[in-house]
Amino acid sequence: MENQETKGKDWYNKWYKIMLLIPLIIFIISLVYLGIFYKAHGDLFFKDSSLAGGSTFTINGDIDYLSLEDSLKEKFEDVNVREIKDLGTGESIAVIVDSSAQPEDLEQEIESILGYELTDENSSIEFTGPSLSKNFYKQFLIAIIFSFILMSLTIFFLFKTFIPSIAVIFAAFADIIMTIALVDVLGVKLSAAGIAAFLMLIGYSVDTDILLTTRVLKKSEGSVNQRIYGSFKTGIFMTITGLLAVLPAFFIITTLPDSFRQIFLILSIGLLADILNTWFTNASIIKWYADSKGIK
Amino acid sequence: MKITFRLWVLIICILLALLMISPSFTNGIIVKSIEKNSTAFQEGLRNGMIIKELNSKEINSYEDYTKSILDGVKVGDLTKYEIKTDQGDFIFLEQGAPKITVDNIPKTKIKTGLDLSGGARAIVRPIDVELTQTQLNDLVSVTDQRFNAFGISDVNIRSVSDLEGNKFMLVEVAGITPADLRELVSKQGKFEAKIGNKTIFIGGDRDISDVCRNDATCAGVTGCFPTQEGNGCNFQFVIYLSEEAADRHAEVTKDISLDETGQYLSEKLTLYIDDTEVDSLLISSSLRGQKTTQVSIQGSGSGSTSEDALKDAKESMNRLQTILITGSLPYKLEILKLDTISPSLGKEFSRSIILLGLTVFLIVSISIFVRYRKIKLTLAVILTMFSEAIITLGIAAFIRWNLDAPAIAGIIAGIGTGVNDQIVIIDESLSKSDNSNIKSRVKRALFIILGAFFTIVAAMLPLFWAGAGLFRGFALTTILGVTVGILITRPAFADIIRQVGE
Repeated sequence: MENQETKGKDWYNKWYKIMLLIPLIIFIISLVYLGIFYKAHGDLFFKDSSLAGGSTFTINGDIDYLSLEDSLKEKFEDVNVREIKDLGTGESIAVIVDSSAQPEDLEQEIESILGYELTDENSSIEFTGPSLSKNFYKQFLIAIIFSFILMSLTIFFLFKTFIPSIAVIFAAFADIIMTIALVDVLGVKLSAAGIAAFLMLIGYSVDTDILLTTRVLKKSEGSVNQRIYGSFKTGIFMTITGLLAVLPAFFIITTLPDSFRQIFLILSIGLLADILNTWFTNASIIKWYADSKGIK
Repeated sequence: MKITFRLWVLIICILLALLMISPSFTNGIIVKSIEKNSTAFQEGLRNGMIIKELNSKEINSYEDYTKSILDGVKVGDLTKYEIKTDQGDFIFLEQGAPKITVDNIPKTKIKTGLDLSGGARAIVRPIDVELTQTQLNDLVSVTDQRFNAFGISDVNIRSVSDLEGNKFMLVEVAGITPADLRELVSKQGKFEAKIGNKTIFIGGDRDISDVCRNDATCAGVTGCFPTQEGNGCNFQFVIYLSEEAADRHAEVTKDISLDETGQYLSEKLTLYIDDTEVDSLLISSSLRGQKTTQVSIQGSGSGSTSEDALKDAKESMNRLQTILITGSLPYKLEILKLDTISPSLGKEFSRSIILLGLTVFLIVSISIFVRYRKIKLTLAVILTMFSEAIITLGIAAFIRWNLDAPAIAGIIAGIGTGVNDQIVIIDESLSKSDNSNIKSRVKRALFIILGAFFTIVAAMLPLFWAGAGLFRGFALTTILGVTVGILITRPAFADIIRQVGE
């Protein structure tokens, strides 16, 4: 037992700097991908009508969404139709039509295809004008930057030492970059609620980093490795519980508002990225720091 | 188990929160709005009354109501309705359905946002004009007046601004079609005072040189009195007409005959907002053919109690004054965002969210139990999550916050950070390899928890301003949730864990 533990320690001592490379490579790949994405689309995200301007129709009932999409595509190029299913019965309960078109035009076309009138009983309509959505999008991006700065200041205030604070902040930054990259890879059309979720991710993802840094720097029992391992046991359980709590929103209960779902999707991608960035990135940096400072 | 001070605090907070939420089990449906010139209104039916029976059939839901309406007895062109409410019975005749809107009685005092309850929301801004805060407040007031004139009472209009200082008007209405909302917003609040079909003066400074406001000598409530339906109050204020408008008054009134009492003219001065009549005033016989620059505008308010009537009268007076001062809006409005959510979809969403909340509770509880294998400890975590949810909802109900879907996501996320904190507390206090005393361990746990608390609050703050505050609810409930956690449930949880540990 004792022997095994020493072996484990040796292993970590030998490899921790190499372990730092893994998230670093993924981070760089993400950055490059985002660079290419930005060049191709002129933006960091695919945006839905709440951020790009346009209309979203939610029409209740069992509707053949594929043929609706085909018919609408003849008139509206960028139209996108999805269906919402009740997972219990497998029945389609509504379809969502998203397009940059004006609501009146889209409504008329949908009505003529479906053959009945859309009322406020059988449908929901969300429309955002192009100037407002542009304005909001810009502000939400500014809000993300503000949020990140405020979080960083809080971290500096908490730890008051440069490298450990930077390690936490870098881990959070890498979380955001990797999450954006994965959101883009998945082809998610970001809504305003999705951006709000990024702000929450900024605050949420540093929990485990604070735990790790506090245990390593403020605790004096055991070796640095033991303290990292101890905080890993606590922290990974925190993240896994968080992920488990988010999953039913995708697999069990499917009739949730889109805004709600996207918040949960972005949080779960962010939590996955956070496992990597806390226990590879941040842990390696903090161990490096502790070793070089002679913290025992 | 010993109930410590912190546990008492928790218990008291939960009780207070439950009181705020106060579930209701009353049967019936509630009157949400009523048209002021309908027979139902004249008979005394009012907003907020609870309909128990309609045409001798018991009413428990909105569906019951819509069914029973069809059973009204026909009397010629009209239909007879007998309505029993919690505040008395009413019988009236009406052409078609009663001119009221009704809704199921809210089960709790928790208010849900448009995306869950259904309704319409618009963000509006004048084209090519920067408004000052005062102008924006006037716009809000004028719009409110106009919606009221159209008999829409379940409306929430307020001014909002965003990070860049842009100002908008946000309109939220339950039970209105997007077409109606578009039309109402795009109208410009035209005020006209007519005798017969001749316009005497219109709102704005061309015809009206001054309006007496906030001056008790020339504006105020003149008296209150009991009426058949409850109470009423009259108000009166003086306006000063321009020379031109005064000439028109003289010209139009000089040929009008007196009424039978001889005190007043036989035709009245009628006030219109956007072509809808809002009031008509008697013209004193002494003013006939006179070039009068001083006109006294009268009106009234009503309510079930005298306080309500007084309040209603003051509000009506204020709105009317605003419209007379501003006249029709000197700018066109553009709708920047218009969302309408169908009530039935909202209902489906609400159901799903409740189900999701319960599933999350269950999964977290199971995962805590699998990790620690201790029933008492798991129960403590469940209790804490539950109390956090209840207290957060209680506060939301207390400050009358409309909970939309993002706000509820915020509550769940807030509870998520709560669970994280509890895991830290458990691990710090149960850790066996650790030889440090309990005091330093608790101190460390507290540092981690406070750190996590401050970072999430800092990260969510910008959402209060970005995007005209559309995600303010999300930020608010998250911050509320973690604050409740840190101040109330976490200390109590630490006490429970200490006792479980011993």
